[in-house]
Amino acid sequence: MTHKLTQAGADDFYEALLDAHLGLSNEQSALLNARLILLMAQEIGDAKLLVELIAAARQTSELT
Amino acid sequence: MQTRFTETAYTNGYEFTSGAGYALPEYPFVEPPEIRNGAIRRHPIVIVGGGITGLTLACSLARLGVAAVLFDEDNTVGVKGASSRGICYTQKSLEIFHRLGIYERIARRGIQWSVGRTFAGNEEIYSFDLKQQGGFNLSSQPPFINIQQFYIEGFLVERIAELGGIDLRWKSRVTGFEQNDAIAKLTVDTPAGSYRLEAEHVIDATGSHTPFHQWTGATAQTRKGDDRWCIADVRFSTHPPTERHTWIEAPFNENRAVWQHLMADDVWRIDYQMAPGADPAYVSREDVVRERLRRQFGPEVAVEIVWVGPYAYRSICLDQLRHGRVFFMGDTAKVVSPFGARGGNTGIADADNLAWKLAAVQRGWAAPTLLETYNDERLEAAQQNVLVTNRTARFLRPADGMERVFRTAAIGLAKQHRGSQPTVYAAARQYINTGRMAIANPYTRSPACDGTGGLSVQNARFHWAVSGRNQASTGTVNDLLQWAQGRLLLLVFGELSAQTAARLQILSQSSPLRAVQVVGTDGQAQAREHVRDPQGHVQAACHVFGHAWALLRPDGYVAATGEAVDGGVIAAIERSLGLLQGAHA
Repeated sequence: MTHKLTQAGADDFYEALLDAHLGLSNEQSALLNARLILLMAQEIGDAKLLVELIAAARQTSELT
Repeated sequence: MQTRFTETAYTNGYEFTSGAGYALPEYPFVEPPEIRNGAIRRHPIVIVGGGITGLTLACSLARLGVAAVLFDEDNTVGVKGASSRGICYTQKSLEIFHRLGIYERIARRGIQWSVGRTFAGNEEIYSFDLKQQGGFNLSSQPPFINIQQFYIEGFLVERIAELGGIDLRWKSRVTGFEQNDAIAKLTVDTPAGSYRLEAEHVIDATGSHTPFHQWTGATAQTRKGDDRWCIADVRFSTHPPTERHTWIEAPFNENRAVWQHLMADDVWRIDYQMAPGADPAYVSREDVVRERLRRQFGPEVAVEIVWVGPYAYRSICLDQLRHGRVFFMGDTAKVVSPFGARGGNTGIADADNLAWKLAAVQRGWAAPTLLETYNDERLEAAQQNVLVTNRTARFLRPADGMERVFRTAAIGLAKQHRGSQPTVYAAARQYINTGRMAIANPYTRSPACDGTGGLSVQNARFHWAVSGRNQASTGTVNDLLQWAQGRLLLLVFGELSAQTAARLQILSQSSPLRAVQVVGTDGQAQAREHVRDPQGHVQAACHVFGHAWALLRPDGYVAATGEAVDGGVIAAIERSLGLLQGAHA
């Protein structure tokens, strides 16, 4: 990716993400996450990178 | 032979049960001489199965002047009790039928459409007009025509009789098969008894219930789901618009999917998604079907039910489309869910792909290895179509849990876009998948195609170069392919040097090739065979620009393109005919 988040930008995003989930049930949170992922994928716009990101996210012992 | 079709009453046709929504034409059984004289004849080409795929192959061979025998276990087109199958034919299929000489018949009878709309609940969330899309507008055929499959099959039978050279044997079921490296032996059962014959090439187009998979040891990748659908082909007292309408979540079908599509004779196909694992006998009962239609169209609309057919979605894809002397095509090669018209149209293209190769090998123009490229090219197409349709099936029947959450998310985003919300939602409708319409599949890994080729050429119009006339008459790419009569067609764009013109003449004389120079309105033609392409449509259809050449195969695919008419052209010709040593990796 050419546009990496700055430290401050990452902090802003992380907090906004948590705030967006405040007061939601687990089901509502799941829907919010799904909507966000679908919108973000459109903005990233690089199918190969998206598949790599999915694989990277899946790669942890907690998901086996 | 003039085919007549008359309609009859409602039928609850399931699989191969009796009854028919249409009275289909019947063809006579003629007792073959082999039964009396016991002779075992050897045929170069035997086609098994007289559906749309087998008949397209037979008609293509007839047009190329190649003899073949075709066996069909029935004595009619369509399947008795299930006479309405495919309804939607792509531009590529229509271009093939144009070459075969039945396009006019199809266009007269069928319905053109280009607009599709997708709804969720009561809201339209997505629409397209294929006429506005660049990929369709060069051809002299429309993006799609809808027509009942058996009409096309009937036209093909008529056309095969007109062309001659094909031995259509009705009421002939192949019941035995064995093969070695050189020859296949078949046993055929008929009402007058059974007989045996030999074949150099057997093409299996019998459909998904074929016995040839077992006979040849063919293996396949199969996927089955719990998704159940029920088709109702109906005629109304009111007329819905001539558009493809799809509901992902239809309020009148318990929020499950519904398809609505017009075909010939004012008959509409309404395809309802049923509850998972639903009982086919129940969902296709007349009172149950009528209740569904009432919920959709209201109690006041009079509905005549022409045909009903419940089915389960599944996919099957063979691992290899050739086993010894046997080639698999149509539904014997792959079975897909009917999203995006990727079933029957793929079979038509399978047939068109193999026909010219069989003809070229039989004439000695091409090496027998060319037949291997049928597998390379059409297996890629089959796998692609299975992949695409399975994705649609998954969107329409998401697994409980996160799959359904993602679909709810996608539909919600697409709805917000329609509600004039910020443009961030606009792109989200791309996730809405009610079927990606079939295209002429590209060949990216064929040994017979260069990296610059493997793409289909639209049937674009040009002006015939007739001197002394003010009004130019138009021809199409198909006219040139027809003139080439199964040879390759080399189109060279722009003005030629004397040396190039001479080279083209030598090439045409020394290889199975016809060459045509294509010039603009004011360009000077150096070759005797030339046409004018004032708007550059032929050139655009060949996917080239400026001074260039394109090598077209008889199936309307580009084998290769290039700039200079040099040794590269010769290599491309040899490669496209399977003559290059080691070309088949």
